[in-house]
Amino acid sequence: MKKFFVIALLAILGFYLTIAFLQIPFGQNRLGQPQDEATVGAYYLNNTKEKSAVSNVVTAIVVNYRGFDTLGEVTVLFLASTGLASILYRRKEEEVERINKPSSSLLQTGSKFLFPLVVLLGIYVFIHGHLTPGGGFQGGAIIATGFLLMLIAYQKYHVSHSMLTWVESLAGVLFVSIGLWGLITGGTFLENSYFPKGVLNSLISGGAIPIIYIAVGFKVAAELTGVLDILLNTKEEKSVPSNQNEK
Amino acid sequence: MNISPVHYIALPLLAAFLIPLLSKLHKELARIVPGLVFLYFLVISVVLMQRLETQPMISEVIAGWSAPWGINLVFTPFSGFLVSLMSFIGFLVWVYSYHFKKIDYMPAQKYFILLMMLVTGSIGIVLTGDIFNLFVFLEIVAISAYSLTAFYPGRDGAEAAFKYLLVGSFASALILLAIVILYTQTGTLNMADLAVKMHEVPHYLKVIIFVLFLVGFGIEAEMFPLNGWAPDAYSQAPGPIGAVFAGIVVKGGIYALVRVVYTIFDLSGVGTILIALGLVTMIIAELAALRQDNLKRMLAYSSIGQMGVVLIAFGIGTDTAIFAALFLMLNHALIKSMLFFSASYLLYNSTTKTIKELTGMAKHLPFVSFIFALGAFAIVGLPPFSGFWSKLYFLMAAADAQMVLLIITVLSVSVIEIIYYFRVIGKIYSKDETSELEPKKPTINSVLVMTVLGALIIIIGVYPDLVTDWIHHASDALVNKSNYIQNVLTENLPR
Amino acid sequence: MDFDFQNIVTISVYGSAIALILIGIYAVLIKKHLIKIVIGMSLVDAGLHLLFVAIGYINNGTAPIFSPGYEDAATNMVDPVPQALVLTAIVIGFAVTAVALSLVIRLYKHHGTVRIDEIKSLKW
Repeated sequence: MKKFFVIALLAILGFYLTIAFLQIPFGQNRLGQPQDEATVGAYYLNNTKEKSAVSNVVTAIVVNYRGFDTLGEVTVLFLASTGLASILYRRKEEEVERINKPSSSLLQTGSKFLFPLVVLLGIYVFIHGHLTPGGGFQGGAIIATGFLLMLIAYQKYHVSHSMLTWVESLAGVLFVSIGLWGLITGGTFLENSYFPKGVLNSLISGGAIPIIYIAVGFKVAAELTGVLDILLNTKEEKSVPSNQNEK
Repeated sequence: MNISPVHYIALPLLAAFLIPLLSKLHKELARIVPGLVFLYFLVISVVLMQRLETQPMISEVIAGWSAPWGINLVFTPFSGFLVSLMSFIGFLVWVYSYHFKKIDYMPAQKYFILLMMLVTGSIGIVLTGDIFNLFVFLEIVAISAYSLTAFYPGRDGAEAAFKYLLVGSFASALILLAIVILYTQTGTLNMADLAVKMHEVPHYLKVIIFVLFLVGFGIEAEMFPLNGWAPDAYSQAPGPIGAVFAGIVVKGGIYALVRVVYTIFDLSGVGTILIALGLVTMIIAELAALRQDNLKRMLAYSSIGQMGVVLIAFGIGTDTAIFAALFLMLNHALIKSMLFFSASYLLYNSTTKTIKELTGMAKHLPFVSFIFALGAFAIVGLPPFSGFWSKLYFLMAAADAQMVLLIITVLSVSVIEIIYYFRVIGKIYSKDETSELEPKKPTINSVLVMTVLGALIIIIGVYPDLVTDWIHHASDALVNKSNYIQNVLTENLPR
Repeated sequence: MDFDFQNIVTISVYGSAIALILIGIYAVLIKKHLIKIVIGMSLVDAGLHLLFVAIGYINNGTAPIFSPGYEDAATNMVDPVPQALVLTAIVIGFAVTAVALSLVIRLYKHHGTVRIDEIKSLKW
């Protein structure tokens, strides 16, 4: 019976969504010509090259035009790792070893070999975020998969939590400080025009955009690694029915 | 560096990122820094509200790209009113929970970071002028709220949080879907620009987008039938967080709904929908509150009911009705947080949190019981407390709009409210027996907070003129849509 | 509506994204296994992200990057805004999934089961 209602509900939702999206032909140009600047996207395509000297327009949007969103996004990740630590919090004496079966030596050797390469690729991706596809989030995620590989392959592999805290805090502080620099110098928050632009399509270009994206890369890597570590460090326990709230 | 609206967001984020490092220096800093941030919020609010006397609104661009190319923050009298209220309640919650987890410092650090971001996210929802940025702030609020609901290691906390998370992520999916469709039709994300370009959107798409927004934000604003998460979250979260949910988070949801309805859309008949939804929300919630034996769940349902009244007032949509809605929101924030503060002391050592256990509690905790009774009198709308005036203004607005049936319904629901609140007060002041709960003496800071709130409620009740001017400004700013659009789209860069 | 190639592409791209969303909602509402519910949530997110990227596409468009040799290709580029927004949405989806999984771990620890019909201390 419940299934029937759910399917009916989904049918209604699906019908209206399909109607809404059929109105929007796939692949049709809705931007208008970039020179007309009729839409936000066209404005970005028309102006990014001159005003920001960044070749990857998506990066310019993520870090500069809509940099405030990105700051919020980084905060969401930070809150997720903080929240995870508080949800799965246990006191020192309760701390447990991870239980997983020792992995095969093939996986262990392979991970050891791949780990530096994966980290290197991640760093490459976020350093070149303003030139090529990718950037801080992508690079950070790649680095975190490197740590995940090590965490899975080696039972005793331990990520230093204090190092993670330092990295994520300093990277976050750097991001906000670059933003505040614009305010201090009399402009607006996160303003990029106070930084030398450099030449389009060279590594040092785009003002503060690459710096911010590198900070984001470090922060994302540290946070994702922290989240993975917290989730992996949860031991299977006998169920303890407890309903004792402390306050 | 001039004080500007972006300080509301930038400084708490800086503080949040710094707290893990600072608490390595000294553990107490994890508690103190959020307090300083809240204090600074109050300073900014005062400064900016004063600046609003000489200009209609403050619109600040971010990253040097004026709207609609970049994100902007808009500080109108309306958002200023809500932001000041949120800062004030946030500060009080911080003072109240200063001693929270005194011994266990790791959870305390997390608690204060999450609390600070919960308030900051709500303020961001109110300030931002960009629909996608609003979504990001909504998620900041949501993630901190999920984590705080599951803060206690008890088992029900996790369950309430999971339920909240399921409903919340459904809401954000719908909002995101609405943003996608809106973007394809208008090519912009700035709310003022959207309002200008809204006439290009075909009517049936407008309706689809509106329904998606209504359901999505309605979940955050505890609208029926999407409020199943609220009673569980309120009752499982730490006591002060219940106050934050009722006083701050819900206000953010209502704001988003109202901003979308009043600024972006120009649909006719929306008011009737809001009135209908508000009525159903109110009636069902108050009836549910009557049936509760868990005190915090009762307070949560009562809070939902109050939000229903606010929705009705926004639905009526006349100037006086919007004035009444804002007054109701102010009172709800002050009174409900006071009720939650006192209720968490009344229930301090209780495991079941039922009303039954409170019998004769007044003998142990005379002050807290008095505060609870005061709050109960105020929220049902008895004179001379502040709740009386907001209800009066609401009924006057409804009378102006000639909605007799509505007045009768709201009044009869008020009777239900009186019944269940007075049942609790009767139990607390019962002379027959004394509670077996071990009372916990309220700490000095919580006594201070409750005294301030109690005094405010009485002062506003006796001299409502102290706040009405302020609220009038706020409601005028909300009604005047073209002024908002013009100011946002023509602002100059500060150079 | 005539079924030329353009329409077929439109329907299949949007249709698959919307189908993902619907399947996700179905899993959230019907499935009793907590992990499956979390997977359902991720499916909804994935469908939304696909929709987001799809609306930005322009026929024969190139990536919005001014690589060397393509400095003047602005007229031929796809809409960069949805790509930037979807990045934000993905990160937020990740954060929500992580919190959801940690709550599942907590629930499993307390109840010894991940089936929702065996966990009933609060009203659902």
